[in-house]
Amino acid sequence: MWEFMVRSLDASTIFTIAALSELLGQRSGILNVGVEGVMLFGATIGFMVAQTTGSYLLGFLAAMAIGGLIGLIHGFFSITLGSDQVVNGMGIWILGFGLTTYIGYPYTGPLGMERIPDILGLSPFFFVGLALIIIAWFVLTKTSLGLRIRSVGENPSVAEVSGINVARTRYLSVTTSGMLMGFAGAIYSLDYNPVWSNDFLMGWGFIALALVFFSMWHPFILLGGSILFGTLWQLSLNPQLVLPDVLSRYIWRTVPFAITIGVLVLMSTKWFSSRWGAAKPEALGLPYEEKG
Amino acid sequence: MKLGSFEVKLEKRVALRGWEATLISIFAILFALVVFSYIFLRAGVDPLTGYKAIFSYAFTSSFGLPLTINRFIFLLLCTYAFIIPMRAGLWNIGMAGQLYAGALSAFAVAYAFGAKTSQNAVLPAGLVIPLMIAAAILGSAAIGAIAGFLKGRFNTNEIVVTMMINFITYWVVARMIKEGGLFMGASGEGDGFKLPESIYAPLIEGVPFTLFIALGLALLLFFLFAKTSIGYQIKAYGKSPAAAKYAGISPFNIPLLVFILGGLIAGLAGYHYFAAVPGVYKITKNYGEFGDLAFYGIICGLISQGNSLAAIPIALLFGGLTNGGRFAQGKLKLGFGIDYALLGVLMITLVAFQFFYRYRIVWVRTPGKEASDVGIHG
Repeated sequence: MWEFMVRSLDASTIFTIAALSELLGQRSGILNVGVEGVMLFGATIGFMVAQTTGSYLLGFLAAMAIGGLIGLIHGFFSITLGSDQVVNGMGIWILGFGLTTYIGYPYTGPLGMERIPDILGLSPFFFVGLALIIIAWFVLTKTSLGLRIRSVGENPSVAEVSGINVARTRYLSVTTSGMLMGFAGAIYSLDYNPVWSNDFLMGWGFIALALVFFSMWHPFILLGGSILFGTLWQLSLNPQLVLPDVLSRYIWRTVPFAITIGVLVLMSTKWFSSRWGAAKPEALGLPYEEKG
Repeated sequence: MKLGSFEVKLEKRVALRGWEATLISIFAILFALVVFSYIFLRAGVDPLTGYKAIFSYAFTSSFGLPLTINRFIFLLLCTYAFIIPMRAGLWNIGMAGQLYAGALSAFAVAYAFGAKTSQNAVLPAGLVIPLMIAAAILGSAAIGAIAGFLKGRFNTNEIVVTMMINFITYWVVARMIKEGGLFMGASGEGDGFKLPESIYAPLIEGVPFTLFIALGLALLLFFLFAKTSIGYQIKAYGKSPAAAKYAGISPFNIPLLVFILGGLIAGLAGYHYFAAVPGVYKITKNYGEFGDLAFYGIICGLISQGNSLAAIPIALLFGGLTNGGRFAQGKLKLGFGIDYALLGVLMITLVAFQFFYRYRIVWVRTPGKEASDVGIHG
């Protein structure tokens, strides 16, 4: 049971960091529905670099670099060109899914490196995830940078009038967001399950996207949601731990996805949104043309 | 930007004409193919040789052409499954889930008629085949309806919902065809059971009859959006759900309707690939690859700008490219997944090119000495 809980927290770490990265972008008003694609890029490039060089550090750095680059590209399409953010995000997802299937294929199989040492049985990235949540909360709510990010996400025209460079702030957010998504992907492929296979994420990125909606854009609620879904995910992989011989293992795999739909529906009800829905960044997904 | 006596400027388009959209689409595809040449170069293959291998296999070889046509039918149906919600401004990325549901429903009918018992079973084809198609349509429409209902009733994000349903149905198919599932094949290798020959879908000149369904739908959808009030309502909702509401268009019915229609057509794609393509006639263990292939429907839909007739040549091209790509990958030793890589490159190119749907590049002669000279000399 202890092992199951540890493994669940490891899974939650990936959800936490991936969802937090999306939250950061969304707070600045940029929606990226291609989280899964960026994660696939980070995971695959990180895996390839780590295996080739034998260095975890280089693997993670490469994953963050490619994630940042994709974030920057998303920014260029969404901020500078002002294109539809959903189309851009879809493009990034399909690009990631298609290209990593091709470039990663020769690396199919286990990573073959010594495992990253754990801390008290937990993956060290669990603590990194916790730290990132606290940092994100602090930056977003207590610093002037956070105020700038939130204001360009809420009302870019007002932000611009008050002297904030909307484009620069959004670029900063989406690029950092991309780096963290790449990092989350690499945690999956280098630490959580260090084996490369085709389209191995199977929905992690999309659940992370949904988690942002669940969190009402608040880092602490997001952490709670991530732990819940990490546990759920782990349970769907090992149902015998709780309910042995009930339902096929394949049916268990559907559970996290079904619950995601359920929660998403609950959150879209009038009852819910009239109470807590106001947290959604007002300018989310809308392109902004500078007046000045 | 200045170039000699010309200035290059970006200008916002007021309207996008049909031929302009066509031109942009052609440029986008060509650009993607040029970028994609890098994959050939990386493998040490001359891109022209590579493309020649792809196209000649896909469109002129007697082995490749039928496979291309089968993929074309599949892609065209997936495109229509995407286009109808797209015209209402909604994203159906659940074609994979809907086509799995369609395939499962069709095979459930076959199973009920005892198709699993023997490959030689003689079943009443005139009854079973129409029932299989009806089941495929109903099953996938029901799956599609979930996303439409949730969108219409609660305004739930349809992208997340359809994607989640893709994963759910993916695992349900696994449940049905593997490890003792109801539809498990006799070989025990992970495939579903094979249909008896008596209920193979009819071929017309060697081509599955589903081709004519797909082409018929092309006309039907064109008519729907060009001439009917319901098509107009879908488009109006797509432009602005709030404004459409004032015009008396139901913000509940439209999402529900477009997702039912989209799902229904995706179900036909599921029936087509698993029950009508020669040599298949079962839910194969690599069914996930067909789910992945369905994402080409998004690209076809976006390039054709939701025009069902324009989608035909595009689906044919992509059917050929993916089919020929698989062949070239073996022949030229390019490594697995070339069709996936192409999918990615095409999609991101398209995303970049959507900019030109809104802006155009104009060349303006800068007024100056040269300009007045030109004026004098006529």
